[in-house]
Amino acid sequence: MFLTDWIERLSETQFAYLLLLPTLSLLGAIAFWPLASTLRMSLHADKLVGAANIGAFVGLENYVEIVTGQRDSVMGVPFFDLSQPFQSALPVTLLFAGASVVLETLLGLIAALALNREFTGRRWVRVALILPWSVPIVIQGMMFYLMFAPGVGFATPVLSDLGIIGSTPLNDSFDAFLIVLMSDVWKTTAFMMLLILAGLQSIDRKLYDVSRVAGASKLQRFKLITLPLVLPTVVVAMLFRTINAMRVYGLIESISGCGTVPSLSCTVVSTFSSRRYGTSSAIAFITALVIAFVVLIYLIQFARDEQGAI
Amino acid sequence: MADETQSEDQAIHEELVSRAIKNPEQVYDFLFKVTVLFFLIIMLFPFYWLLVLALTPSGRIINMGIFPRGFNVDVFVEVFEMVPFHVFVLNSFILSIMTTVIVLVLGSLAGYVFGRLEFPGRGVLMLTILVISYFPPAAFLLPLFRLFTGNVTVLGVQSPNWFNTPGAMVLPFSSLVLPLSIFILTTFYSQIPDGLEDAARIEGTTRIGALFRIIVPLSAPGVATAGILTFITVYNEFFFSFLMTDGQAQNWAPLVWGILQYQGEFSQFYNLMAAASIIGVLPVVVLVVVAQERIVSGLTQGALKE
Repeated sequence: MFLTDWIERLSETQFAYLLLLPTLSLLGAIAFWPLASTLRMSLHADKLVGAANIGAFVGLENYVEIVTGQRDSVMGVPFFDLSQPFQSALPVTLLFAGASVVLETLLGLIAALALNREFTGRRWVRVALILPWSVPIVIQGMMFYLMFAPGVGFATPVLSDLGIIGSTPLNDSFDAFLIVLMSDVWKTTAFMMLLILAGLQSIDRKLYDVSRVAGASKLQRFKLITLPLVLPTVVVAMLFRTINAMRVYGLIESISGCGTVPSLSCTVVSTFSSRRYGTSSAIAFITALVIAFVVLIYLIQFARDEQGAI
Repeated sequence: MADETQSEDQAIHEELVSRAIKNPEQVYDFLFKVTVLFFLIIMLFPFYWLLVLALTPSGRIINMGIFPRGFNVDVFVEVFEMVPFHVFVLNSFILSIMTTVIVLVLGSLAGYVFGRLEFPGRGVLMLTILVISYFPPAAFLLPLFRLFTGNVTVLGVQSPNWFNTPGAMVLPFSSLVLPLSIFILTTFYSQIPDGLEDAARIEGTTRIGALFRIIVPLSAPGVATAGILTFITVYNEFFFSFLMTDGQAQNWAPLVWGILQYQGEFSQFYNLMAAASIIGVLPVVVLVVVAQERIVSGLTQGALKE
């Protein structure tokens, strides 16, 4: 009774902050503090012996040495020999995110256009197409691992006869990369499809009626009405997916292992496991910076498109 | 003879082309059916492949192609004999439900604040919360690991050793999912007409009473959506599920570790891996089929309403 009276007497601002208190304390302790702490650790040296785990303050030395390649020896094996930026984790992550997002956007657009018309059983087709989205990462990895596992996977003999992959694809960096990519596209096309479909369905039907009367062909209608109106949705969806794809870790771990296909998150975990805390935190923040850079490119591009449209 | 069939083929070909030109709708219809069929096959094939591998007895699994060689239903019993797989799945369920409860309670309060109240700092706070979902989980790993292994001291108090307990996973899960849930709930709460809340307040209901007796029931669909998405996200999570336990069933290790148990050091139990994967994926598949509408609205809303 006393408590409810006290709450009634609070101003709206005080009441708002009171209700936010639990959320802010959880996020403060489990999200903001760790971020700040990672940043602080990234400015300290690795310390492999002793109880402290964290060495002396070294400023930006970790960052500099990682970017210039002097820390390559503590990371995994190189993938492409692009003179080994971070033992290839950087090109792998960027290439993975780029290829995955482009492929799933194209496939998602086609699927969304197909589902955008009324037909019997549409509900069930939609359920079937979004099922991959709901599959746990480890099981998604297992599915594709089992398709290519030595002696069992039917896909290895077929694809290696075609010369696309070698005979032991899971142990070959490039082949394993393709498999991880394929698996990611399989899972995330559904997400793209749903978002694009929502964008398609928000388009005013009257626009199509008008254009039909004016004699526009189906292709013209697509190019002049559908595409420009659905584009903002597509860009937002691509942005979300890019941020996510650049964190890839579990999928790689369950298909081929981080040793075969190193991503940035893989490198964070592997340096963490060898107790190089300074290096590990610095790579974590470099990962965040790389993602920020890509997000920035999206935003600039998007802002320019918006201006061009007006 | 050969000439005849060739000219016949040509005739059929010409007939088809002329029909297509006269009636383009038929061509579109055909293309549409092919597209839908293509996507159905691609999207469902990996599930079928798991079933094929699971049903084929392990002795006949080498180079088996894409059709089952046998019908070994016992595999679904063997799965549990080799590894306590049900414990891993149960752990995942408990962790997901605990996270969902925390996220819904905190998210409802925060969603109400952001959706219905005006106060200084609202925009900045909302943005700060959303920024979290931008950072990769790897950026939180180190401090959280040290925190939950009792290596952090705040004001002379040592942090609890929660490694191998639900806390070490549930709290990180919650803070990773919370931003999106707050976002979904905010949009739902803001759509409730002000009049309803005002009426309840004039009738003498307290602020908290109005929130839980008027606002939350009215936004039940939103709460359900946020709850289902949270559950699925946590059940499917890899990063913290993998790194915050040592992988023992009795130490709260979730599904991730259960599945990886079948990758033996000396021999691979492919049929068991497939069977375990089927069992592990079944709960979410059922959830998607039952709650399709909610999931679709939640996913599209999270991205579209900016």
